[in-house]
Amino acid sequence: MDKPNKNQPVSRRTFFGDTLRTLSALGLGSLVGFGARKATSEELVWQLDPDKCVQCGQCATECVLDPSAVKCVHAFDVCGYCKLCGGYFKPDAKSLDTAAENQLCPTGALIRKFVEDPYYEYTIDESLCIGCAKCVKGCGAFGNGSLHLQVRHDCCVNCNECSIAKACPSNAFQRVPASKPYLYRGVQRKDFYPEK
Amino acid sequence: MEQNKTSQELDRRNFIVRGGQRIAAFVLGLIGASLLPGQKQRALATSTPQTQPKRKVENPWEYDLESLKKIDPALITYEEIESIPAEQEKVTALALDDSGTLYIGGDKGVRVITDKTSKRWVQLPQAPACLAIDTNGDIFVGLKDMIVVYDKKGTKKTEFHSMGESSYLTSIAIGIDDVFVADAGNRVVWRMNKAGALLGQLGEKDERRHIPGLVIPSPYCDVALDQNGLLWVVNTGRHAFEQYKPDGTLVKRWEKTSVKIDGFSGCCNPTHMAILPDGAFVTAEKGLERIKIHETDGTFRTVVAAPSQFKEGTVGLDLAVNKQGRIFVLDPSQKTARVFEKK
Ligand code: SF4
Ligand code: SF4
Ligand code: SF4
Repeated sequence: MDKPNKNQPVSRRTFFGDTLRTLSALGLGSLVGFGARKATSEELVWQLDPDKCVQCGQCATECVLDPSAVKCVHAFDVCGYCKLCGGYFKPDAKSLDTAAENQLCPTGALIRKFVEDPYYEYTIDESLCIGCAKCVKGCGAFGNGSLHLQVRHDCCVNCNECSIAKACPSNAFQRVPASKPYLYRGVQRKDFYPEK
Repeated sequence: MEQNKTSQELDRRNFIVRGGQRIAAFVLGLIGASLLPGQKQRALATSTPQTQPKRKVENPWEYDLESLKKIDPALITYEEIESIPAEQEKVTALALDDSGTLYIGGDKGVRVITDKTSKRWVQLPQAPACLAIDTNGDIFVGLKDMIVVYDKKGTKKTEFHSMGESSYLTSIAIGIDDVFVADAGNRVVWRMNKAGALLGQLGEKDERRHIPGLVIPSPYCDVALDQNGLLWVVNTGRHAFEQYKPDGTLVKRWEKTSVKIDGFSGCCNPTHMAILPDGAFVTAEKGLERIKIHETDGTFRTVVAAPSQFKEGTVGLDLAVNKQGRIFVLDPSQKTARVFEKK
C-alpha cells in the first residue's frame, strides 16, 4: 500500500495540502472555492459510531494516512480509573506497572498515571496512536468501554469516499455534521444524540 | 415516590458516567477539545457508507480474547439441567426464598415462580436493581436509590427513604434483624433495620480499622450473609471478598487478581456472588463470562459454566443458590434463569 508514512519525505496529507496550494496557484482557486462553499452548505464529515465498532483493526490499516486519522479517545466520565485497566494491560501482565512488556498497546500510546490509591488515569498520546483498537477491545471486554475510536478531524483529510468506511465490517462509518463532528461516548455524546 | 422518579430511571450507563464524573472532576475536558481546522475540510460527497458485505481480513493487532475464554472441560463439574423463561424483555435481578420459590425481576416487575406455569407477578414502578426475600416471604426490592418492601401477596408494605442521588443499589442481604444494602454509587454497604432506619455503614476506607475501602468502578457490588450471620462483600475493584461483622469490623478478606481460572480480572469482578450451603462462594464475572466456585478462603474449587455457554458480552449474571446446592443463574441475554447442578 503506497501510504505515506513518517519516513517518507512527503506525506499524503502534505500532498493534499500542496495540491490545493498548487490548484490555487494555477488559478483554479475559484473552483476550489465553489467546492468549499458547497461543503459548508452540506457540512458533513466522516465519523465512526463507537457503539457499532467491532475493533477489527482496519481503522489502522485502511486509512489513506499513515498513521491513521482514527485515534483512540477516552471518555473520562465513563472510565473506572482502574488499577487493572483491561485496555492498558496485557491479560498475562507479570506486574501492574508501566513496563513495556505488560502493555497491550503496540505503540505505547496509552499513558498511565497514578491518581490516588487505587485509582489511575489513562490518557492517549495521539502522536503514537495508530487506531488499532486493541485497547478499545480490552476496555470494552473488561472495563466500562471508556476507550473508543474516533476520526480525528485535525488529521483526517475527509476523503470523498473514506477508505475505512468502505472496509469497515460493521458499517460504523457515517457522515455527520461538521459542526458536531464527534460521536463520543460519555457526556460528550448527550448533546449529539439527545435521545440516548 | 414521584420525586425520586428521575433519579431512579437512570440506567447502569448513567451510573458509570456519574461515578466517572466524580473521579474525573479534576481532569480537563481533553476529548471535548475537538478540532476541525477549516483548511482540512474538503468538498464532500453525500454518499453513505457502503452496505455490501465486507471482505474478512486479517487483523494484525488482533486481541485474542477467545484463548482466554477456553476452559479445560475437566474443570467443569456442573451441568445445566433447566432453563426457566423470565417472560420479560429485560431481566435485572433474581432471588430464591427458603421454600425454593424463584423470583425474577425485570421490566414487567417481579415474576414469582413456584412451578413452570406460575403466573404470579408483583407490579413495580420500574425494573428492580436487586431483590431479596425475607424468611416471612416479604419481598425486598432495590430500586435505583431506595428499597421498597412488598408482602408475599405483592401488596406494598413500606418504602425506605432514598439513599441520595448518587445511590445505585446493587444487592440486598436480609438477616434476623438487619438488612444490608450494597450501594455501588456511594461505595458503601448500608446497614438498616427492617423498617428502613439507618443503623450504620460498612466498607468505607478506614486505615485505623485496617479497612482498605470499597473500589467499585462499575455498578456491581454483591453482598451475602453466611451461616454465622457475618456479611461477605465483594470489593469488585480489588477482586476481593471481605467479611464484616454487622458493626462494620472487618473480620477477614482475600483477593485474587488473575486472568487465569483461579482468580478474577478486569476492572471489577466478580460482579455477582452467592454462598453455597457448605460456605463456598459461587461467582459470576463480566468480560470472561463464567461461573466458578471458590472455597471460603478463596481457593479455586471448580467451574460451573464456561464462557462458551454464554453469549459474548453478557453482563448481569445474578446468582442464587437453593438448599440443595443448585445454582440459579440469571441470563439477561437469553432472558432466562438457568439452573445448574453438580454432574
Ligand atoms: S473498521 Fe469499523 S469495526 Fe473496524 S475498527 Fe474501524 S470502526 Fe471499528
Ligand atoms: S492500543 Fe491501538 S488504538 Fe489503543 S492507544 Fe494504542 S495504538 Fe491507539
Ligand atoms: S476520510 Fe480519509 S483520511 Fe479520513 S479517516 Fe477516512 S480514509 Fe482516513
